[in-house]
Amino acid sequence: MDLPLLASTYATVFLAELGDKTQLAIVTISGTSSRSGAVFAGSSLALVLASLLGAAAGGSLSSVIGPDVLQLAASVGFLVIGTRLLIKASRPEPEADPDDASAG
Amino acid sequence: MTEPQPAPEAPSPTPSTIPSPGSDQAGSFGAVFLTTFTTVFLAELGDKTQLAALLLSAESGRPVLVFFGASLALISSSLVGVVLGRWLSRVLPPQQLERLAGILMVGLGLWLGRQAAVSVFPLA
Repeated sequence: MDLPLLASTYATVFLAELGDKTQLAIVTISGTSSRSGAVFAGSSLALVLASLLGAAAGGSLSSVIGPDVLQLAASVGFLVIGTRLLIKASRPEPEADPDDASAG
Repeated sequence: MTEPQPAPEAPSPTPSTIPSPGSDQAGSFGAVFLTTFTTVFLAELGDKTQLAALLLSAESGRPVLVFFGASLALISSSLVGVVLGRWLSRVLPPQQLERLAGILMVGLGLWLGRQAAVSVFPLA
């Protein structure tokens, strides 16, 4: 077990990831959803799979799909989620209980 | 005779943290999982983390160990993100948080889209 290599990989990736757009997305989704467990499971699996592809495919992936296409897809995803959140925030929350009207 | 009227105290302190089942805001475990997975996966592919993993893997010739370290770091960082989001949702009112998050996501989307568009159609 090569501990220095493990530690250096951990430190490099962790520092590269802090404050990254991916982490901002995780903060956003976690803050606006009540299911932290699902967010954690989904983001962890996605990140591990992405790094598995990065470590195993060895650059061949980016030549097949192309980082621009991936970035465009990610930007569309961000736009869709952001627009949905903005629509939800601009709409008044339906907190008025319909049962209250009949009681009074 | 004037009966003392009991002050109508709020009988149920409507728990805002507990989502009502079936409402769109709560979302099922699968829906939240899929949304998070797709967003993070797409955002992460071709990112600098992947680049770092690639470089380390190429230099060391120990791809399994590099993958292990990178995975641990990514899981830690996503845990930090989730905890930060939980904390924000406790500090800020939900509607304000949704607006902020929406602006942030649209901003990130526009920025990413612009980057991709510039590299696809380079401006002279």
